[in-house]
Amino acid sequence: MKQIKSLSSKIVFLITGVTLASVLIIFNVFERINKEAFYNIETQKAKLVLNTIEPLIALNIYLNLNDRIDPIIKQLVINPDILAIKVLQGDKLINERKSKEFKSSIDNSFIVESSIFQPNSKKEIGRLVLTYSSKNYIELIDKYTKLLVQVLVMFGIFFLLFSLYVKKLLSPLRKIAKLLKGYAPDKNINIPFENQNNEIGFISSALNNMQQSIMQYSEQQQNINHYLEEKVDEKTLELRKQLYTNTLTGLPNRRSLLRDISIFSENSLVIINVDDFKEINDFYGQVVGDKILIELAKKLKNMLSQEKNITLIHLGGDEFALYFTQESLLKNFLEITKSLIADVEKIIFFHEENELTIRVTLGSAFRMQKALEKADIALKFAKKEGKSFLLYDEKLNVEQQYKNNMEYTKKLNWAIENNKICAFYQPIFDNKTNKVASYECLIRLIDSDNNIIAPNKFLTIAKKSKLYSKLTKIMIQKSCQQFEHLDYDFSINLSVEDILDKGIVEYISYNIKKYDVSKKIVFELLETEGIENFEEVSSFIYKMKSLGCRIAIDDFGSGYSNFEYLLQLNVDYIKIDGSLIKNLAYDRNAQIVVETIVSFAKKLNIIVIAEYVHNEGVYQKVKEFDIDRSQGFFLAKPQDTI
Amino acid sequence: MKKILFLYLALVSIAFGYNYDDLVLKAQASIFPKIILLDKKIENKLIDGKIVYTIIYDKTDYLTALSIEKFINKNFQGHLDTYNYKINLVDFANFSEKTDASAIYVLNLKKHIEKIATIARRKGIISFSYDINNLKKGLMFSLVLEKSTVIYLKKENLYTKKIDFVEALLQMVRFVDQDYAFKENTKYDDRFDSKNFYARLTSSII
Repeated sequence: MKQIKSLSSKIVFLITGVTLASVLIIFNVFERINKEAFYNIETQKAKLVLNTIEPLIALNIYLNLNDRIDPIIKQLVINPDILAIKVLQGDKLINERKSKEFKSSIDNSFIVESSIFQPNSKKEIGRLVLTYSSKNYIELIDKYTKLLVQVLVMFGIFFLLFSLYVKKLLSPLRKIAKLLKGYAPDKNINIPFENQNNEIGFISSALNNMQQSIMQYSEQQQNINHYLEEKVDEKTLELRKQLYTNTLTGLPNRRSLLRDISIFSENSLVIINVDDFKEINDFYGQVVGDKILIELAKKLKNMLSQEKNITLIHLGGDEFALYFTQESLLKNFLEITKSLIADVEKIIFFHEENELTIRVTLGSAFRMQKALEKADIALKFAKKEGKSFLLYDEKLNVEQQYKNNMEYTKKLNWAIENNKICAFYQPIFDNKTNKVASYECLIRLIDSDNNIIAPNKFLTIAKKSKLYSKLTKIMIQKSCQQFEHLDYDFSINLSVEDILDKGIVEYISYNIKKYDVSKKIVFELLETEGIENFEEVSSFIYKMKSLGCRIAIDDFGSGYSNFEYLLQLNVDYIKIDGSLIKNLAYDRNAQIVVETIVSFAKKLNIIVIAEYVHNEGVYQKVKEFDIDRSQGFFLAKPQDTI
Repeated sequence: MKKILFLYLALVSIAFGYNYDDLVLKAQASIFPKIILLDKKIENKLIDGKIVYTIIYDKTDYLTALSIEKFINKNFQGHLDTYNYKINLVDFANFSEKTDASAIYVLNLKKHIEKIATIARRKGIISFSYDINNLKKGLMFSLVLEKSTVIYLKKENLYTKKIDFVEALLQMVRFVDQDYAFKENTKYDDRFDSKNFYARLTSSII
């Protein structure tokens, strides 16, 4: 069935449905009630007949005047509604009369019975049985049904007319809806019916007014939109410019460079970093720093004004870049770079009455993929190497180093988590007794394949990845614990980073006390680090000595050995650098230096230890030079147990 | 002695007694006692808890009265419905205000009917008469055998507060007008008054 969409049809169908349903229900109920009422009326009529004749019949029966009953009931059946009547005295039929219509109407009849009571008594003496015609009842029902049908037909006609009327009333709404289907804010639709003095007229009028308002509003909105579009375009341009421009110098920025280099697979560029620019900022202030950067940008621009294929970029902070937009020869590339360094270093910046000069370091990549990253690596290497310029070369193996660093950082983390940072112990022998005098505790990393890795592979990385202090703590704890119940001295290497770290120093003190090893422990400090951070090292030595600990200077003779400094530090041991001992057997210079050190130490009662004793010849020389103790692979290798 | 007396009475009756219709007597003896029970105030008429049915006769009709008594006793076996009854045979000369009676049945008398009727009316006694003509003299009911049995009632004689018959009786009886002249063997139209009956019936239904 097609769905009814029209509102008017819906209203009419709804009202019709509800009304017809109501009417049907009401009529149904009324029909039932009326049928019952009609039936009751007929029954009452029949009963009334019986009630009327009953006393007379009763009296006649009572007085044994039965012959007088017949005339009564004979007259009774004249009534067309009475089909038959029986008079029973007790169970005995004493009289019966049937009308002429009895046979034809018996199917449409009902029977009413009544008791016959003795007059002036409640004693039942007989019964009256009346067969009453339903003709009247059926006629009434027929009339009623006809009336019902007539009413329903009238209702049907009425609602048909009503629906047509409602449709007609609501037809303007349809027309309005059709008109409004094609409505747009810039379109003026003339809605009729405005003259009607009813709701439709009001709606039409309101819609027309609304159209005008919408049109005005739309025009305003269009103007606003136009204005906003212009503003958005302006702002977009501005933001785009800002997006790709450094706000300080007005030069293209890093994002601009990334956009440009993404176009080509290989690029050539140079990164220029101002050395120690932080110091300028710190000393003269950031404003001055910014002024210098702006000035530098201008100067660089001027320097490159003739180079049409080079774009100057301000990467941010103290870093600039030269991006070569066209391929050039390596020779030209290097010449431009080098002349730039010379020119920049000639620049004099003025601040108040001060003259400032700057130095720059350059890292570059020539015709390479990932040129920015590679130029950056080259810059870092140049800084590290103290060079003013470095061209990225695959031979630098930088990427492999980075990879290696990352792998070792992982290994370190894994080893710390899994207790695989271990202490190995290498004995130091007394050269007179040939017995073990003490042990040096050496750090080792056991990797997941159970390989023993020496500290030269991971210590530098540990320092970079902030894991160094953890390693020191592990070594201190494990070494102290190991020697808690052993009657040997033992030494632990400490770097200047450890000494400067208050947490480490406290941790050392705590463990010394905890394992009661103050009289056994010796701290080995690097000679060079001690000189560079004399005050801190001196303070640490003082503190440890006050606990009963001893101090050794490691790798003595490797740098600019300063005996005065040695005196001031009040050390107990000197460990002569392996580079001197290694060639002691035949190197005359090494022999002179060692002889001097031993002589000096003896006078100060400092015990001298020779490390790197790797063969018999060296061992014999060590003894010959009266060195107190020896350590090296010739005598014993480091072991994980004692 | 009794036999002599009975013989005497029989001879007197034959010689001087009224010639009664035996069928009428039996019909009256069957119906009149029952009519007593149709009085709604029957309770007020009981004497020592019994219905007293007094038969008033002329001495020449003594045997008739006796035969009626016998007939009634045979017919009703000593009680009318739930009430016991007693039959008094009273010579009209002895009938007075002091005579016990719930109802009286007056045989054929030529004199003193008015007196009997007056006493009966005053005392609220139901009165039956063998002769319909006596109704004019103040008695209430009589019965005539026509095509069917017809009970006559003198309506004016019913006006006493001490008697209240069921309505059906009043519908059934035939009323005797004051001025109506009865004649012996008068034939009444015994047709059922169907017109009046249906007029009443229809009006009551509608």
